[in-house]
Amino acid sequence: MQYLRRDKKDEEESMVNPFQNIDKGIVLQEARVFNETPINIRKCIHILTKILYLINQGTHLGTVEATEAFFAMTKLFQSKDLMLRRMVYLSIKELSTIAEDVIIVTSSLTKDMTGKEDMFRGSAIRALCKITDNTMLQGIERYLKQAIVDKNPSVSSAALVSALHLLKPNYDVVKRWVNEAQEAVSSDNNMVQYHALGLLYHIKQSDRLAVSKLIAKHSKHSLRSPYAVCMLIRIASKYLDEEPDAASSPLYDFLENCLRHKSEMVIYEAARAIVNLKNLKSKDLCPAISVLQLFLSSPRPTLRFAAVRTLNKVAMTQPMSVTTCNLDLENLITDVNRSIATLAITTLLKTGNESSVER
Amino acid sequence: MDSGVLEASLYTVKGIAILDNDGARVLAKYYDDTYPTAKEQKEFEKNLFNKTHRANAEIIMLEGMTCVYRSSVDLYFYVMGSSNENELILVSVLNAFFDAVSMMLRKNVEKRTLMENLDGVLLAVDEIVDGGVILEADSSAIVQQVAMKMDDVPITEQTVAQVIQTAKDQLKWSLLK
Repeated sequence: MQYLRRDKKDEEESMVNPFQNIDKGIVLQEARVFNETPINIRKCIHILTKILYLINQGTHLGTVEATEAFFAMTKLFQSKDLMLRRMVYLSIKELSTIAEDVIIVTSSLTKDMTGKEDMFRGSAIRALCKITDNTMLQGIERYLKQAIVDKNPSVSSAALVSALHLLKPNYDVVKRWVNEAQEAVSSDNNMVQYHALGLLYHIKQSDRLAVSKLIAKHSKHSLRSPYAVCMLIRIASKYLDEEPDAASSPLYDFLENCLRHKSEMVIYEAARAIVNLKNLKSKDLCPAISVLQLFLSSPRPTLRFAAVRTLNKVAMTQPMSVTTCNLDLENLITDVNRSIATLAITTLLKTGNESSVER
Repeated sequence: MDSGVLEASLYTVKGIAILDNDGARVLAKYYDDTYPTAKEQKEFEKNLFNKTHRANAEIIMLEGMTCVYRSSVDLYFYVMGSSNENELILVSVLNAFFDAVSMMLRKNVEKRTLMENLDGVLLAVDEIVDGGVILEADSSAIVQQVAMKMDDVPITEQTVAQVIQTAKDQLKWSLLK
């Protein structure tokens, strides 16, 4: 960073963007610095940033030049600098789709993911899974299973999310990791719990019995993570939608309980799930509607938007259930957010009557 | 019309972007193939910017997507998700993103400082979303993961964990000498 600052002073004190007119050819030439020893850490980070910036701006890199840059970059594994290493991981991921023979870094990454430095491990796992293919996956399977149950949350999350990305092309391998994922669901960490539950569902998705067991297990012992609860609400409502008598199912009670959760994210997810169920009578919608009605007068635009959009959808099929919200909806007609105002008007057109026109 | 019940999936975020005052891309990442080419992406960003840069409204529906946004001085932060996505989840990602960047830039969230610390911001984006899955939505955890060189942060603004880490590092070095 120091390097950048000095660079800018030299140019002049104006508002020059240090990355404004960088040229692909020159940057790739500069990448030769990677071969020098000892490694100039600051300079290398700066050049990697430039390469990433070019890719991010949509600059086209050819296979040959990308491969050349990639191979030069592998030299940087000699340095132990934290920041540099992380930039190398990021570059590996970005270049992995363009460059050839990227599997050359497999052993370096495997070493990092099993190493002592916790800061490296999560991102090393994610970079490794990005370049890995079916045949190589067998070789690292053991490490990935261990990483899923690692006590460091960033390592565990990285392994779970990578497993999800790998699931489609390697279903038969990844489905063997169910036990580890199961263990990770009970993690104290919000994100680990969310990723673990998500992975389990993605694995079991097509097995209705397994899904019902998954829901039954986790709807009783309450999950800590609001993200995980939202996920479970979605899983449950999809399951419930195929039941003929949704209102009498214990899962409906689970959804209704979630309306009293302390996180707004969960309350909204539950309310939306309930109003979207097709086998419910209008009286079963009431608790969800009143929660949404409360959101309508929130000072936060996103909450108002979310509520009015959901009510708008309900009004298409069951306008009578929404009429209780008419007064609140009328207040939103003049909302500063035009999307909210428009949604409020169209909802009122379906639920309103003559008396509301007069006001 | 979209079907009633939502598909349960961990894939939540379709895109994340920072645009500048002129609507030009500072940084953008797309996680599915809604906009496969750079040209289509930039057209979408232009459109998004035109619709959002004056109205300070926080949320908009655009081209079948839900986009939440925030601005600061000369930068605009965006998070895009499917039109069926829970808007509050998207906002939680946006807030984590904004707060993490703000912490890293020590509250100077403006283009110039951001460009000077672009490496850290790129790493932060990588810690927040991985291939469309929300990886971390807690801003201090994100900053900790990025591990920007914290040595010039005044000690009062450091978290306890950071102070301990610095102390550990120094101890390690003194032992090595």
